[in-house]
Amino acid sequence: MKGLVSGIKRMEIHDGDGLRTTVFFKGCPLKCVWCHNPESISFEKQIAYFREKCRHCGACREKRDENAAARCPVNALTVYGREYEPEELVNEVTQDEPFFRAGGGGVTLSGGECLAQPDFAVEVARLLHEKDVSVYVDTCGFVPRRTLERILPFTDRFLYDIKAVDPAVHKACTGQDNALILDNLRFLSDAGADIEIRVPLVVGFNEKEIPAIGALLKDMPGITKVKVLRYHNLAASRYEALEMENTLPPSDTAAEDVERAVFALADCGLNAVNGTMAD
Amino acid sequence: MTERQQKLMDFALQHVPFDGERDVLKADCDIAIHLLENCEITVPAANRFMVRVDVRTICDEVQKERYYAVKKLVWDPAYADAMEAKLYFGTYDFGHTSACWEDVISLGIFGLRQRIESYREKAGNDPAKLRFFREIARVYDAALRFTKRAADAARKAGRDEMADGLSHLACGAPTSLYEALQTVILYYVLQQYFDGTRLRTLGRLDTLLYPFYEKADKDGVPVMLLDFMHEIDRFHADANMPFALGGTNADGNDLVNKLSYLLLDAYRKAGTHCTKLHLLISKNTPRNIVENGLAAVREGNNSIVFMDDATVITSLENLGEDHADAVNYHVVGCYECGGAGEVTCSCSTRVNLPKALEMALTGGRDLLTGKQIGLANDGVFETFDDFFREYLRQVENACGNAMICTDLCEENYGKMHAAPILSATYVSALEHGGDLYCDYSAKYNNSSVNALGLATATDSLAAIRKLVYEDRTLTLAELTGILRNNWEGQEILRLTVKNKFPKYGTGDKAVDAIAVKTVDHLAAFVNGHPNKKGGVYRLGLFSIDWRWKFGEMTGASADGRLAGETISQNTGASFGADRNGPTAHLLSVASLDGTRTPNGAIVDLDLHASAVRGENGLRAMTATLMTFFALGGFCVHYNVLDTETLKKAKSDPDAYPNLQVRLCGWNVLFSSLSEKEKDEFIARSEAAGRSA
Repeated sequence: MKGLVSGIKRMEIHDGDGLRTTVFFKGCPLKCVWCHNPESISFEKQIAYFREKCRHCGACREKRDENAAARCPVNALTVYGREYEPEELVNEVTQDEPFFRAGGGGVTLSGGECLAQPDFAVEVARLLHEKDVSVYVDTCGFVPRRTLERILPFTDRFLYDIKAVDPAVHKACTGQDNALILDNLRFLSDAGADIEIRVPLVVGFNEKEIPAIGALLKDMPGITKVKVLRYHNLAASRYEALEMENTLPPSDTAAEDVERAVFALADCGLNAVNGTMAD
Repeated sequence: MTERQQKLMDFALQHVPFDGERDVLKADCDIAIHLLENCEITVPAANRFMVRVDVRTICDEVQKERYYAVKKLVWDPAYADAMEAKLYFGTYDFGHTSACWEDVISLGIFGLRQRIESYREKAGNDPAKLRFFREIARVYDAALRFTKRAADAARKAGRDEMADGLSHLACGAPTSLYEALQTVILYYVLQQYFDGTRLRTLGRLDTLLYPFYEKADKDGVPVMLLDFMHEIDRFHADANMPFALGGTNADGNDLVNKLSYLLLDAYRKAGTHCTKLHLLISKNTPRNIVENGLAAVREGNNSIVFMDDATVITSLENLGEDHADAVNYHVVGCYECGGAGEVTCSCSTRVNLPKALEMALTGGRDLLTGKQIGLANDGVFETFDDFFREYLRQVENACGNAMICTDLCEENYGKMHAAPILSATYVSALEHGGDLYCDYSAKYNNSSVNALGLATATDSLAAIRKLVYEDRTLTLAELTGILRNNWEGQEILRLTVKNKFPKYGTGDKAVDAIAVKTVDHLAAFVNGHPNKKGGVYRLGLFSIDWRWKFGEMTGASADGRLAGETISQNTGASFGADRNGPTAHLLSVASLDGTRTPNGAIVDLDLHASAVRGENGLRAMTATLMTFFALGGFCVHYNVLDTETLKKAKSDPDAYPNLQVRLCGWNVLFSSLSEKEKDEFIARSEAAGRSA
């Protein structure tokens, strides 16, 4: 069984307690207009070309394939998407295990949507759990209920995105309806999961949703934290390098907007905190 | 220089000439006494504890002149070209000492003077010993008269607190926290400016001062400590003046106490940049003081060095030091540790590992000048192991020659320098009845070798293994030709090697193994190698600012580095090679055996400000540190860099007068760096940002 991973980041401190290693699974069922990980939207391998790094040395022989990327001396051509066997990935992401132990850290499965490669994600989580490594699952929730049921026993915490409560707003932002997402959240809550909600705040798209999100979450058991993520328009160069249509909203969300949202959510009795999407 | 200072200098320089007969101890005592009696004393308004004197550089000049005189006698031109080419370097060093601070604080200057008498009585009729006691007693008498004179000056200036303290210290041991702090500064001035022996640590202030703290009025303590920090800073000590907190005692108990927190607090508040702090961390050190230290680093106070107590102690015991001495070690200067009673000669011998590798490739010919400075070879090495052995042979040769150059100086210390003020603090010197330098009377008289550019050499060896012995893209001779031409016309290959080849500092075990073997080999060669002072050599792995000069003199290297570029810093990865971030970087460095580098091994960890934000950021920093120590690491220094701030500070230095960075073994103001150095820091912060 192989899975496709777009990147691994060590010493991540923004995904929760301690020092974590985050795996970005490749491929996502949503298409959020503000997506800041465009390399993890497609389920296929991609070759990115970073024009500003290119020395025009000719090592690629003007090709845009994996071999050319391997030859590029400055990584102006970069392959996004590497296949791993579950054990291989687990070995790779547990190199920092001594650091996890000291700081209450572990591994975060993220993406893209990690649960969009369900068999692979469940197996990786199971192996990590078996090694007594903490597993966080960062999910958009737009996945079959069965997948959540399968990964639940091996997950220490869900990092669960809520972008909008109003289905029309959700569809406009992500291209999909949110009924499944909200159902799944209720399921996890009922199942006793530890859930940290992530709300990417993108002014002009979903800032009006905050009261509804507060109302949705306020009495839901298991919600330990609600993190409002400040949107930054920082991913443009990767859209260009991947020759993908850049849908990024042009203006950053202001810090005051985030503070206001945090305040409103805290007013609902939630443990609301400030975060940033650049994390 | 004022007329008065010129006269003092003239007096001192008259006592320099070395005619083979002159009694250096007597000459240096005469200089010290003359300066103590004739220096100008002023009372700066800002100082709370001590007056100011105007004799800062005189003793340095004396030492330099003596060195030139000795060099004429003993210099061996056989080593000149290689020293010039920075393959290695060996010289004298009177610059890395700690006083026996326990005795200084418990006895005071007055008590140290009294103690001389008790040892003089035991010396019998030995004329050499009697002469030693007579001379140092003369100096201490002058030091006490100077203390009285300083007290009078303070009184005249209306500074009663300072005057009362100094008056008392002229005739007794310190009795209060104020007087203990005053003793620290008074002693500092005496040794630094009149003994001419650079003092490079104020000792473990928390443990030393605790008995006085217990008796003190607690309300006044924070302000007093803050005043102390500011006053130390105003000495503008070269390469900063360190003090230490923490450590353990002989029973293994951690020594952090209430005063440790207060001193750290004062240090944070003072925001000074000429004082640095060694935090000595054991497995029982309270986590919150480690976090306080890291929080200070995160605020931009990056002059704190975190040292693993257990590793340091083991490294000194491995050299044969007694447990009680090893436990009570001091850190002099940057990272050099010496056991109690040890006078270290920390920084006088250096070996350039990338240059030694150059020697292996060229058969000993300098790539830049063509001169024969290393060992000849026939250039044929069938396997990588054969080539690696040749590299180690060149390293050993460079190392051996460097030690010979240092030996030439060190066997002549009797003609170069006496340290009467410092010697009286060492029980071993009093028991021996001789000077620490002239007579090598310390309990441990060790010397050191620092190996520079470990990562540059390791990455180059890894590249040679891949290019020549695995992929067989090039022969060794072809590669050497490319390096001789400074990679000209080979930019694709150079960038490929630089950006895509395996590197030390990424957690790649196969590459780390090269560094480990190099260090193990060096340790076996250096540690315990007898010196000319009755002690041994010890290995260190720091390169501080020498890496620039040594890099300038080093030809292109197989890791993709161009000729003249800086070589790698301390035990860390080559610049930009820590591709997998700080944790992988630390895993590589932790593969080196810290217990075999008693002279110090430090890794500089560059973290981007965004990577250590918030409570969790602090927890993560603490996790990196404690894990590195649990894995056997020696010492870590953090730079928390924020690209935007550095860029703004470069374009508008006036707006950021206090921004500090750690240049090498000490802190500097960013505004004082050269443009080249500023650019390197900006590039480093960008790299840290990419991995953040």
